[in-house]
Amino acid sequence: MRSTSNAALPHSPLQAGAWAILPLTPGIVPFGLIAGLTPVQLGYHWLDSVAASLLIFAGASQIAAYQLIAEHSSVWVIFLTVIAVNLRYILYSASIAPHLSDAPWPLRLLAAYGLTDQSYAVCLKTFAARDFDLSERLRFYFGGSAVVWSVWQTTTLIGALAGQVIPLLWSLEFMIPLSFFVLALGTIHRPAHRTAAVVGGTVAAMLMHAPFNLGLITGALMGVIAGMAHHRWGSTHAS
Amino acid sequence: MHPELLLVLGLCGLATLALKGSFIEGQRHLQLPHWFREALEYVPPAILMALVIPGFIKGEATLITLAGPVWIDPRWIGALIAFGSYVLTRRSIPTLAAGMLGLHGSYWLQNLLQS
Repeated sequence: MRSTSNAALPHSPLQAGAWAILPLTPGIVPFGLIAGLTPVQLGYHWLDSVAASLLIFAGASQIAAYQLIAEHSSVWVIFLTVIAVNLRYILYSASIAPHLSDAPWPLRLLAAYGLTDQSYAVCLKTFAARDFDLSERLRFYFGGSAVVWSVWQTTTLIGALAGQVIPLLWSLEFMIPLSFFVLALGTIHRPAHRTAAVVGGTVAAMLMHAPFNLGLITGALMGVIAGMAHHRWGSTHAS
Repeated sequence: MHPELLLVLGLCGLATLALKGSFIEGQRHLQLPHWFREALEYVPPAILMALVIPGFIKGEATLITLAGPVWIDPRWIGALIAFGSYVLTRRSIPTLAAGMLGLHGSYWLQNLLQS
């Protein structure tokens, strides 16, 4: 049910956005630390970590990009992998667009940069329940995005600085596949997703010595096709 | 910072911004075909697992490079323990911690048994 008044809001929309997103920030912390630490453990400067965090601002793809850069993958493989890891943002963008697309273009650009899993989830839920005007929606959105951005940049910086003093014997590079593992398991909700994951992982493993790390993109493509085929086969046999 | 690295990161940043801004900027002009929308659903598990599995088997853990080989690759044991922890808790921090503990626990135990 939509509320027609904002009187129940405990704070201004900016503060309300920040408060609404705060409970989700502990989940960001470990990945921020890993994203900051990864480039340093792979031999890059801590400023390189900070640069990736500022320029890309999308956790999993930052880690993936550095892993592939360290493996001397082709620029195209790095570029395509970052796109593939971030494709979900197209769906987020499509869902959130009706609430933000009337804003002036500099604010739309800033809103696009600040779009994250957390801001998407919180804002979509709130915008559906509250009768905000455009200005209030923008302030709520930027309040939440600013919190996520600050937590992400701070934890990345901490991770990058910590990476310089943590001994290599701790084998923290293992956190890279582990963090993707956690993220991957979190995306499996149906049997067809499991098929996509198993095929994607198996093909990528079989082709892991392919030049330019092309096995990664091939595995991902085969996984998507297998997931779609499973879904269609299931639908056909269920009907 | 190396200019080539900055260029690659800049390109990745622009691509990410284009994806995030695709509909916020072009809502009136863009429409996703049905098959593409359907395919998008399978991209995260496929690409993430394609990053995961080679990461568990390619090369070797720094631990092994520095402290010597053991019978069973401790990354496999770490991965199995992480999976078990995820199934039980469905939470990221315990899963990451369990995986790292599995890696080190299994490595140092094997190291002890071998010596």
